[in-house]
Amino acid sequence: MKKRMFTSLITAALVLIAGCSEKSTAGGSENTPKEIIYASSKDINDMNPHLYPGSMPAQGKVYESLVENTKGGIKPLLAESWDISQDGKVYTFHLRKDVTFHDGAPFNAEAVKQNIEAVQSNASKHSWIKLSTKIESCNVIDEHTVELRLSEAYYPALVELSMTRPYVFISPKSFINGETKDGVSSFNGTGPYILKEHQVDQYATFEANENYWGGAPSIKKITSKVLPAGETTYLALQKGEVNFVFTDDRGTDSLDVEAMNTLADSGNYQIVRSEPMNTKMIVVNSSKSGHPVSEKAVREAIWHAVDRETISKQIMNGSESPAETLFSSNVNYADIDLQKRAYDPEKAKTLLEEAGWIVEEGQAVRSKNGNPLAMKVYFDIHSNSQKTQAEFIQSSLKTIGVQMELVGEESSSIANRRSTGDYDLLFNQTWGLAYDPQSTISAFTSDASYLHTTKGMSNADQLYQKIEEVMVSKDEPSREALYKDILTMVHDEAVFIPLTNGSVTIVAPADLQDITFKQTQFELPFERMSFK
Amino acid sequence: MKMWKNMLQDKLALLSFSIISLVMVTGLFAPFIAPHDPYEVHMVLRYAGSSWTYWLGNDHLGRCILSRLIYGIRPSILWVFAALAVSVGIGAMLGFIAGYFRGKIDALLMRICDVMLSFPGTVMTLAIVGILGVGLENILTAFILMKWAWFARVIRTAVLQYSESDYVKFSKAIGVKPFKIIYRHIVPVTLSDIAVTASSSFGSMILQISGFSFLGLGIQAPHAEWGMMLNEARGVMFSRPEFMVAPALSIMIVVSAIHFFSDYLQVALNPKLRTSKHKAGDFAGTTTPRLQEKEVA
Amino acid sequence: MYKYMIKRFLISIPLLLIISFLTFVLIHLSPLDPAEVVLQAQGVPVITEELMVQTKQELGLDQPFLIRYLAWFASCLQLDFGDSYVTGQPVWSLLAPAFLNTVKLTMVSALLIIVLSIVLGVVCALREGKMTDKTVRGISFFVTAMPSYALAAILIWLFSVKLDLLPTSGMNSLSSYILPVIVIAVSYAGLYFRIIRSSMLNNLNENYVMYGRACGLPEHKITKTILRNSLQVAVSVFCMAVPIILGSTVVVENMFAWPGLGSLSVKSILSRDFPMIQAYVLVLATAFVLFNTVSDMINAAINPKLREGL
Repeated sequence: MKKRMFTSLITAALVLIAGCSEKSTAGGSENTPKEIIYASSKDINDMNPHLYPGSMPAQGKVYESLVENTKGGIKPLLAESWDISQDGKVYTFHLRKDVTFHDGAPFNAEAVKQNIEAVQSNASKHSWIKLSTKIESCNVIDEHTVELRLSEAYYPALVELSMTRPYVFISPKSFINGETKDGVSSFNGTGPYILKEHQVDQYATFEANENYWGGAPSIKKITSKVLPAGETTYLALQKGEVNFVFTDDRGTDSLDVEAMNTLADSGNYQIVRSEPMNTKMIVVNSSKSGHPVSEKAVREAIWHAVDRETISKQIMNGSESPAETLFSSNVNYADIDLQKRAYDPEKAKTLLEEAGWIVEEGQAVRSKNGNPLAMKVYFDIHSNSQKTQAEFIQSSLKTIGVQMELVGEESSSIANRRSTGDYDLLFNQTWGLAYDPQSTISAFTSDASYLHTTKGMSNADQLYQKIEEVMVSKDEPSREALYKDILTMVHDEAVFIPLTNGSVTIVAPADLQDITFKQTQFELPFERMSFK
Repeated sequence: MKMWKNMLQDKLALLSFSIISLVMVTGLFAPFIAPHDPYEVHMVLRYAGSSWTYWLGNDHLGRCILSRLIYGIRPSILWVFAALAVSVGIGAMLGFIAGYFRGKIDALLMRICDVMLSFPGTVMTLAIVGILGVGLENILTAFILMKWAWFARVIRTAVLQYSESDYVKFSKAIGVKPFKIIYRHIVPVTLSDIAVTASSSFGSMILQISGFSFLGLGIQAPHAEWGMMLNEARGVMFSRPEFMVAPALSIMIVVSAIHFFSDYLQVALNPKLRTSKHKAGDFAGTTTPRLQEKEVA
Repeated sequence: MYKYMIKRFLISIPLLLIISFLTFVLIHLSPLDPAEVVLQAQGVPVITEELMVQTKQELGLDQPFLIRYLAWFASCLQLDFGDSYVTGQPVWSLLAPAFLNTVKLTMVSALLIIVLSIVLGVVCALREGKMTDKTVRGISFFVTAMPSYALAAILIWLFSVKLDLLPTSGMNSLSSYILPVIVIAVSYAGLYFRIIRSSMLNNLNENYVMYGRACGLPEHKITKTILRNSLQVAVSVFCMAVPIILGSTVVVENMFAWPGLGSLSVKSILSRDFPMIQAYVLVLATAFVLFNTVSDMINAAINPKLREGL
């Protein structure tokens, strides 16, 4: 009798489990291939396009800018055409006439003015983008013509207007008290997708904007699903719970190369890589006074101690090539001669010896005046490749007598450290083709970005002077000369230690076609993709 | 020494005890036993399978997994043991004081214990790690802070029982100093309770530490720790599941051994339990702490 | 009975006060200056000494410690825990849904634990010393010795990938509950069933059983009586389990991407989001104390002997 009771309970439990699982297969996503479900390690967060916590790929689908940065240069987007005054100070935009926001409000000159003023009223947040300091006023000329007045000629103005944020447009009906800096009431942009549902830390769904001025997108539904990177994402892809992953806006791949290859080998997925888009690097806090990393010799020694070939071959499985300079030569103005610092541990040791960092009797770590040659490096805890690279570099540095401690944190914390200067070294990447070199370089002077990295350089003032000059320079030859000087200065001071040339990687269903990239690593043109 | 004799007869207990001691000794003498330097990177051997030189293969940096497993005993087992010893020490001291002197000091100490025990252990550990930063030492600190109260409670209860015994009363009457009485008469008899409580916490603490390391909150690279090794294997958990096996099995074997041994101690040191004839209350004294201990794992 | 309940409830109040105070103190151990953090969160580019002093005044940070504590405590009572450093949203708006999800997971797990431990406990007690008993206990030792993430990995691999029956992660449908609940339940049931077993064994040896047998009562009637007595133990086990599980779903939530407090807490720690950490500690510790209070009350209701202790 007892035995029977036991077996019947077990059977009951099994029936229960089986019953529930049937439901799950019925609701499974494998048989609905017409949508994209992408895995993201973070929630889409606050979608307010005039602030920075939101996910850029998500914002890129919903909001649009006046102009677009393409391989062939600046192209029209919400503005059909534009005129620039002789002195380069006044930009007049002729807007498209057939554009409405998702809530039905018309996109017109008044909306542009309100949006730009909303951004400008919160200028301290946008100091990284130099245009925000140059805009004097934004005036409505007529219903579809708007004029932007700058305090001085600023050559990257159109490039900065093309960025994913902050100069994009949200319906004025979404404003709160005529402002956006304290939040918005809804997320109505003009873009090809509309945010439909958002479950915090679970998923967000976007539906195609059937009235999109550029034609309704072919893929009708896109879901952003929060999954921890690595094994969970890999399994979810195998099962079809998600069917799309890409390098996220902080440059982190949620899968390692090997897992991607396994998926591609299965025949269900394809891997698409963009051309090299940015440079992955270690950023050094040169302004940390009294700390070893404020010494040029130490920075150079670290540079020489990094074996980029091995990182490229073994850790990245050959998917990314070694980088020797901050910007690769295909970046505008960056095709210049810079002295290569090859992997050479002996050279690194010599540099340290000469700078007075010596190995005391019986010690593994070098020291100078009793200070050990020790530092911390911060990396994104969700990035397996960063972690492996950090561990690898840690062991290389150990052989030259440098102690490096690893600290893995969330990317938001890393970004916060970068802007507050609370770091020794941190993993980072340049901002991508649309931003390099001008925006990345102007960010050298911005507190929110690389000010702490560059401030400790011996010739920092001169550097900042040249950056000021290049942004307002009007002719090509002087611009080239200035960029050359700037890039040479940061290279000589070794404050950005390059690792590899990163690209955006997409793992997508094998039958997805027209996968292309934008000039930025921060968004993808989902509206152009379609299923076979 | 009847306990030892009994143990020799109980094969399972003997086996468990041998495993625990063997592992601890191996950890203690890791530098002499490990075949390789656990920190030596060979990128060429990344994810290599087992070979004659590297018995258990190589990890994502080409380091010797066997050597890392052996060095990993130190934080995974030995440091946990040390933290356990400290919290037992603190708990025992306060437990003796409270149980022997009774009165106000007892009331005060027990109220403090109440407060400590009203904090959920995992949450407090997370809080301390959150404020002071990730790292093994912060987790161990949190453990000591959270666990001593349990031991103080259990030991106090035991002391209460024995301090009423005739020989203690007699010693008191002839004017033997309190600490001498505690040391001579009470410590020896309460040792069995301490051993049972401590041994049952040991296993769950090991599991907790490995859980925190697995989440990336524990020991930091390049140090070898079993939970950390599992965390490193996590990235390739499903493409190369074999990398999970060695550290996971090690944890399982050691913790099982500790569980079996602690179960044995409970029976061996508590004669009442050897027969089934006992009241529920006797058992509750030793099981409750164990329930509370099992948290993160 | 009511007297006991009121007394028990009153005891938990000073406890909660102490907890809130300790949480407040704890956050002040953090190496960062709160005023500086707030300014950084606001994106102020250059933080001057004057600005710091001014912000300190605005935030009331120049007030004595105790006053600051009281002000903080008052706002906590209104569920105002400040804004997250990372997203800038109110902490409670992020914490509340996560808390609910964790409670859901805990409750379902506790239910399964109770079913598993009663079934196993009773079966083992009735077959004490026989093969079934020995096997179940042996397995329980191994299962409880298994790190839960390893168990989770095995289950995901088997049920989600190989058999393709269950989702790997998330909280989308009822089936999402199955794997995380099993992982939590298995390791705890392995502990709790032994309590039920030993209490059953006690009962089996009680005089009333002997007496019943001697009087020739049918065996199933005796079993029934024993079961009823053991149910008391089961209820108290359940009550004990809920608060403990509530605070310890961290690993499981992280493995299964469960949008609960466990995932949230680890994320907050790794992004140094101190207001979140503080609120997390406070909310969970409060829940823990309240659940413990309730479970003590339930236990006392079932077992009047316990009331005397207070």
